[in-house]
Amino acid sequence: MTREAIFNDLNEIFADVLDLGDLSLTEATIADDVEEWDSLSHIRLVVSIEQHYGFKFTTAEIEALKSVGDLVDCIQKKTG
Amino acid sequence: MPAHSSDLSSDVLAGEWPSTHRIAEAVLAIWPEHERYIRKSLAGRDAAMMRTTETLAEAVLLLVSDRLDAIAAHYRWTCDRLREEELFFHREGRYRLSTFAEADAEVYSDAAYMEKYMDGLLLSQVLWFNHAASCHFFLTELPALLQPGGSLLEIGPGHGLMMSLALRDFGLSSANAWDLSEVSLDQTRAALERLGHHGCHFAVQNVMDVPADTPPADLVVLSEVLEHLEDPKSVMRKLHAQVRPETGRIFINVPINSPSPDHLYLMRTPDDARALLNDTGFEILKDGFFATQGTALERALRNKISVSACMIARPV
Repeated sequence: MTREAIFNDLNEIFADVLDLGDLSLTEATIADDVEEWDSLSHIRLVVSIEQHYGFKFTTAEIEALKSVGDLVDCIQKKTG
Repeated sequence: MPAHSSDLSSDVLAGEWPSTHRIAEAVLAIWPEHERYIRKSLAGRDAAMMRTTETLAEAVLLLVSDRLDAIAAHYRWTCDRLREEELFFHREGRYRLSTFAEADAEVYSDAAYMEKYMDGLLLSQVLWFNHAASCHFFLTELPALLQPGGSLLEIGPGHGLMMSLALRDFGLSSANAWDLSEVSLDQTRAALERLGHHGCHFAVQNVMDVPADTPPADLVVLSEVLEHLEDPKSVMRKLHAQVRPETGRIFINVPINSPSPDHLYLMRTPDDARALLNDTGFEILKDGFFATQGTALERALRNKISVSACMIARPV
C-alpha cells in the first residue's frame, strides 16, 4: 500500500475512534498533539486499525508506536 | 516529595489538595508519561468532588504509610495489566476470564500478584475519575435515603475506604464486614484500625450460605464486588433477606465495559447494571454513571470506555 492510501485510512479511523470531525494527521503527529489521543484511546485506535487491515500488532509493535509515521511504517510492513 | 517535579507542582492542587498532590507526584516520579491522564482525570472534578478526592487521598496516605513510592510502582504495574486486558476486550468483545476458578488460579491464589494489584487499585480510588466520582456519589446521595442510627453490612470491603467513609458520615450504630477470604478481612480490619475506626465486626461469610437467623442490615454495600462473580444475580437474590424491609437500603457499585484481570461478569450498558437490582427484587431509588476521565456517558458507551455504575435501591 502507498503511504498516501494508509494516511487516508488513518485519518478516517482516528476521526471515528476519537470522535473528531476535523483532523489532519502528519508523519510527525504524536499523541501529545491530539487531546483525545491518550493511553485509553490508543488501545481502541490499535484495535480499529487491526480490524481495518485484518492483522494484529504484537505487544512490542504497540509499545513502539509513538507517532503517525511509526503507524504508517508498521502498517506498510505488515501489509507487504 | 519525590525528586521528580512535574507541572502539577505549580497547580492549585499543591496548595488546596496536598494529599491528592502528593499521591499524583509519587506516581509521576516513576511514570511521567501518566501526567496527561491524571490531569484529565482531575480536571473533570468540581470543588465538592475534589473535597471527596482529598478525603480519599488522606485515607490512602494513612494506609500506605512510608510505602508510597513502592505503591506508586505497583499502581503502574496494575495499569499495565489493565491495558493488556483492554486490548483483549476490544479485540474479542468479551472479558478474558469467565470462571471464578480461572480468576483464582491467575490472580487470587498468587499472593505477590494480589499485593501489587490491590496496591494499584488503592491509588486508583484517588487518581481515576470514575472511582472518586463513585465515592462522591456514595457520600453525597446516600445520607438522605438512610434512617439515622442504622447498621452497616459491607460485603467484600477490600481496602475499607467505603466503610471508613460511611462510619465517618452516616451516623451508623454498628458496622459488619463479610468476605470469603480471612486474609482480605484481616487487611480490612487493619486498615480500619489505622483509619481510626474501632469496634467493627468481621466475619468469613459466603453470601450464598447465610444462617437463617442473621438479622438484616439497614445499609448493605457491595462496591466493585459483583463483577467478580459468575452469577451475581443469584447473590443479589440471596442478599435480599439481608436488607431490612421497607427502610433498608442497598448500595451497589459495578463497572460497565471494564476489563480487568479478575472481572468475569460483563455488563455492556446501564440497563445491564440496573438489571442486577431490577431482576432480583429491588427498586432503584437513585443511580449515577461515571465514565473514565469524566467522558460523556453516551460517548463512553459508544466507545466501550469503562463506566462505574452506582445504584441505591430498596427491597420490594
